[in-house]
Amino acid sequence: MVGGEADRGLEHPDVSLALSEQLERLSGTLRNEIGPAVGDEYLRTQAFMASVILAKLAKEVALAPVHDAAERADLTELHERLGSVLAGAPADLVAAADGAESAGTVAALGPLVVALYDWGTDRPAAAEALSLIRIALRRDIDRRMEIAA
Amino acid sequence: MTAVDAERSLEEILAEYLNGRLEATGPITIEDMTRIAVGWSHETWLFDACWTDRDGEHRRGLCLRRDPGNALLRGHSDLAEQYSVLRCLEGTDVPAPTVYWHEPDPAVLGAPALIMERVPGECPSPWRKAGREFYAAAADRGVLPLSFTDALASIHTADWRAVGLDFLGVPGPGDDFARREVAKWRGFIEESGHPGHPILADLVCWLEANAPATDRLTLVHGAYRTGNVLVDDDRVSAVLDWELQVIGDPMYDVAYVLTELNREGTELLSNVVPRELFFERYQSTTGIEIDEERCRYYQLLYAMRSAAFWMSASGLYADGSNTDLRLARTEWSVTVALERAAQELGY
Repeated sequence: MVGGEADRGLEHPDVSLALSEQLERLSGTLRNEIGPAVGDEYLRTQAFMASVILAKLAKEVALAPVHDAAERADLTELHERLGSVLAGAPADLVAAADGAESAGTVAALGPLVVALYDWGTDRPAAAEALSLIRIALRRDIDRRMEIAA
Repeated sequence: MTAVDAERSLEEILAEYLNGRLEATGPITIEDMTRIAVGWSHETWLFDACWTDRDGEHRRGLCLRRDPGNALLRGHSDLAEQYSVLRCLEGTDVPAPTVYWHEPDPAVLGAPALIMERVPGECPSPWRKAGREFYAAAADRGVLPLSFTDALASIHTADWRAVGLDFLGVPGPGDDFARREVAKWRGFIEESGHPGHPILADLVCWLEANAPATDRLTLVHGAYRTGNVLVDDDRVSAVLDWELQVIGDPMYDVAYVLTELNREGTELLSNVVPRELFFERYQSTTGIEIDEERCRYYQLLYAMRSAAFWMSASGLYADGSNTDLRLARTEWSVTVALERAAQELGY
């Protein structure tokens, strides 16, 4: 994800356009003006692909503040609940949970997921913890799909 | 003329290559050379070789596939293996192109290459509206659904040991096949350099914990769907894309036919076969009962494989190996594959 600060306007004495808007306009120019004017099929496809990519980057930049805040809220809630669910878990699993909490990112949940499988997802505590993590992962992928779909 | 280097065109290089391989009494000419867009793995060129010998004039349609070395499957797509597989398939009922030459030296044809028969037929993309309409119309006529199913059955009933395909590697008993595939795609993901996502960690762990036992080993194509078969007069004239074949569980291919990934908004499996007809025809032709539970497992494995493909593709752009912006675009395809994986895992 691109950080929220990236969407500040470009510095100019007269005009300040949000980065997402800049990217969106560039995308439109590539799609509607440059692409159709390119004769070579491969290069025309490249122009349209560049347009698609710029449009996605524009969306990512525009949504970054909202998405970042939602991710932080989801992770805070998740780690609070994991704390009680994993209270009696082995030390290495608790360490994995602590590591994920310290990192404060969705990506950092990966090693914790692996540690839960290693412990055994047939254990009620592991199953419950995995279920809680999956809720956070579902929300994360839904946010990403707002850009990718 | 198709430029290959500053001095010689690909036509000239091919003519020189074929001179000595075809028993021509005069010069060989290459005509109607066309590059076709079929997938992201290899360059594919169609052309006619024209020559004269003691029997008169000849014109033969050929297909050149070159591996530029920076394509989607990286080192997992091996032309030497494809050549051997196609040679082995000549001893079976599997409709496949006859392969003539394998040239491993990149200095000779510009990249490692295969030259094979150009089989009559067309291969409409099922991802495009025109392709979907083509397959829907063929489904209505009723011949292609049977032929598509029969071609898969011919792969699964081929005597792979007798024709020497055991060089592909034979899985051990039990869940070895599934574990091998998970390990293969896990390695591919690691090779891509992509940071991954916890959904992928969840999926890989689930696949390792639930690997099914395989009760029967067959040749498995690995990507059997419309778009990977040539169709001529409503029949499969050749199964293409021999890049992912393994000896393994036939349900791996069946799952690929059953998956929603390979049909866009249609009930027709792989855009062309009614489900009931596929089950009935496949089971009666092969004698293999379709195990939907195992197919469900392999559909999860395909979710992992899709993620691996797109991670590889976006990684090739990210590390500068390939400048094709279609590869850069696949960074967001990784997200779509992961969302699919989450759905398959039930969340």
